[in-house]
Amino acid sequence: MNQININTQKANRFDAIVVGSGMTGGIAAKELTEKGMKVLMLERGREVKHLEGYDTANKAPWEFEHRGKVPINSAEEYWSNNRFGTLASEEAGAFFTNDKQNPFIEKKPFDWIRAYHTGGKSMHWGRQTYRWGQHDFEANAKEGVGIDWPLRYEDIAPWYSYIEKFVGISGQKEGWDIIPDSDFLPPMSMLPPEVHFKDAVMKKLNRKVTIGRIANLSQAQPIHTALGRASCQYRNKCVRGCPHGGYYSSMAGAIPAAAQTGKLTIRHNAIALELIYDAQKQKATGVRVIDQIDHSVTEYFAKIIFVNAGAMNSAALLLNSKSTRFPNGLGNDSDQVGRNLMDHHLGSGATATVEGFEDDYYFGSRPTGLYIPRFRNWGNDKRKDYQRGFGYQGGASRSSWNRGVGMDGFGADFKKGLTEPGSWTIGFGGFGEILPDPNNRMYLDPVKKDQWGIPMIVFDAAFTENDLAMRRDIMVAGAEMLEAAGFKNISTYNRDTHMGLGIHEMGTARMGHDPKNSVLNKNNQIHACKNVFLTDGACMVSASCVNPSLTYMALTARAAEYAVGELKRKNL
Amino acid sequence: MRRVSTQKTINMNRREALAKATLLLGAALSGPTLMAMGRWENAIGTTVRDKLNLSTLQKQIIAEVAELIMPRTDTVGAKDVGVPAFIEMMINDCYQSPEHRSFMAGVVELEGMKFLDMSAAQKTDTLKQVEQKAKEQMKAYNAQTIKFGDNQDLESMNAVKMGLPFWRLMKELTLLGYYTSEGGTKASFEYVPNPGKFELTKLKPGQKTIVY
Repeated sequence: MNQININTQKANRFDAIVVGSGMTGGIAAKELTEKGMKVLMLERGREVKHLEGYDTANKAPWEFEHRGKVPINSAEEYWSNNRFGTLASEEAGAFFTNDKQNPFIEKKPFDWIRAYHTGGKSMHWGRQTYRWGQHDFEANAKEGVGIDWPLRYEDIAPWYSYIEKFVGISGQKEGWDIIPDSDFLPPMSMLPPEVHFKDAVMKKLNRKVTIGRIANLSQAQPIHTALGRASCQYRNKCVRGCPHGGYYSSMAGAIPAAAQTGKLTIRHNAIALELIYDAQKQKATGVRVIDQIDHSVTEYFAKIIFVNAGAMNSAALLLNSKSTRFPNGLGNDSDQVGRNLMDHHLGSGATATVEGFEDDYYFGSRPTGLYIPRFRNWGNDKRKDYQRGFGYQGGASRSSWNRGVGMDGFGADFKKGLTEPGSWTIGFGGFGEILPDPNNRMYLDPVKKDQWGIPMIVFDAAFTENDLAMRRDIMVAGAEMLEAAGFKNISTYNRDTHMGLGIHEMGTARMGHDPKNSVLNKNNQIHACKNVFLTDGACMVSASCVNPSLTYMALTARAAEYAVGELKRKNL
Repeated sequence: MRRVSTQKTINMNRREALAKATLLLGAALSGPTLMAMGRWENAIGTTVRDKLNLSTLQKQIIAEVAELIMPRTDTVGAKDVGVPAFIEMMINDCYQSPEHRSFMAGVVELEGMKFLDMSAAQKTDTLKQVEQKAKEQMKAYNAQTIKFGDNQDLESMNAVKMGLPFWRLMKELTLLGYYTSEGGTKASFEYVPNPGKFELTKLKPGQKTIVY
């Protein structure tokens, strides 16, 4: 450990430390700085400057050497991230974690998708945003699954509104309980075959279809333009980082907002080693950090700490913060840290070809598709083979030149034919809710350490029969809808995927009423160490089937207000 | 002592090979195998990848096939936009020994038929036959399942695995190389990198695909 002199100690002292600059770290830093706190944000990865750092944002297809395919060398460097498909390509590879340099251990296969740089996964997330409904918060208690959420929809509803206005969500007001409406910007248009599909599915199957609710600015508002963000330009290259701030990311929104207060300090290449616990004060006094590059160790101190390192890394940080009081990791009296690992399973669905609509086309590349909210185990529907349910995401498009690969033919006429738009195809994939199971977990290897001397993360989690049964039904129910719409060549798929591939890994430091079976209380405070707040996916008690980032951000803003209030009330 | 080090080398290669195998076939490995592997520590690419060793004649055959797929008409063809070199680069960088084998098998077959000496009509007929044969090959390709025992490694898997048929590789890489090239894109489509809006339209007669 370095000698720390008085000046350094003062320079290393803040009102709050936020571990992580991603989806929730950004919101935490914004909220805390806007409420007057001097905040240190720690990002383990490299700095990627908003706008300047998006090297590939404006590249044409021919400017990518391998034209979108992943070279074998990249596939090996990004051996986990590449399982998602094309993440290791030249288009976005620089913004996903090099798995070779940041390895982890799989007791059971876990497709861990990560991004270690400013903004984390908020840089290239799917941007689909849906509110939870009351039923989501009540489900565990009603069904005797896991433990009860220590809050309900009414606790979070105002925070949903608050975040939605800041982030900017495009969607269609529908008035459905299954996915309550957000505060929306104008919705994007459905394509004619999609409208036909929506009508047919409602009429014949009484299932709902809406335009995907997406964190892209269909109409930038003053709150967005004030941060330099502009309306979406419909390039649909969001994964590269947007030159217009057209979609929400930490880099486009929360971080500039926090920076505007003048109270934000960001340190990059700063890996949190452990939270420093003071047994007498019964508080965490700070964070011990190792520099990613030169391995120097520094300590930072603060009155409150927000842990927003991403669900797996947040749990790992707690587990690695051992002391006499907390021999199993900070706040881990319940032994639940690392357990109840959940995700959304995906990779099953259905596709079809669409006859007709030959004259219909579109200008612009729409960054969202359709959303079909959960209809299983909802209302009068009761499944015998699985609990909870799934939603679908997908949509229709006209095929492009790549239809030629599977077609017969070659030569002049073949070439000419491929310049015109092909026929329509449509497809949907399911996102399914995984139940909390204490045996699905991650933990720290007792022996193996990474290059920074940090114990390596081990994954031991797998789908259960509930997930497998749901995936089979996703195919059946998907094909039903395509058939109801009169589409042809219906095909279903159910890929051999694993936990992690949904990129919604969560649950590893859950909230709850009872410190005996939960890590955090209803204000996202660690039960046993109340000046530490954790608001990323680790805090989740159940998973729902909707994309979670909106809920994470809302919980974060709510917890930040509570934290500052507690400081002012001198409870912290 | 020598025996021990040899055994270690074999074990390491096998574990490394198994690790890499998962990249090709997704989750083909069972839990126990993964545990035994310490997967992370072996996902380190140290294999020197074999590159295609094409003769001048063979390169000409590849170029000719690409040009027959995407010929120069009133717009540029495959040769004009660098597709032949692109194909060779992609086979080297993005595919492994099964595809190197199947690709070379196709090239060598055409070489044996003296493809370059044929008339234009004969070349076209020959490729039509190659195309038909490829359909059967694709069925076999899609039907193959490579199951792992704990004693199999990537080398032996790659030794038996059938690669994508030559024709399929040529078709896919010619079209990819052509339609993502600057010349090919601008000759074939309406290229709109910054649309600014999304709206429903009606297709005009002869309207080209819009690419972004």
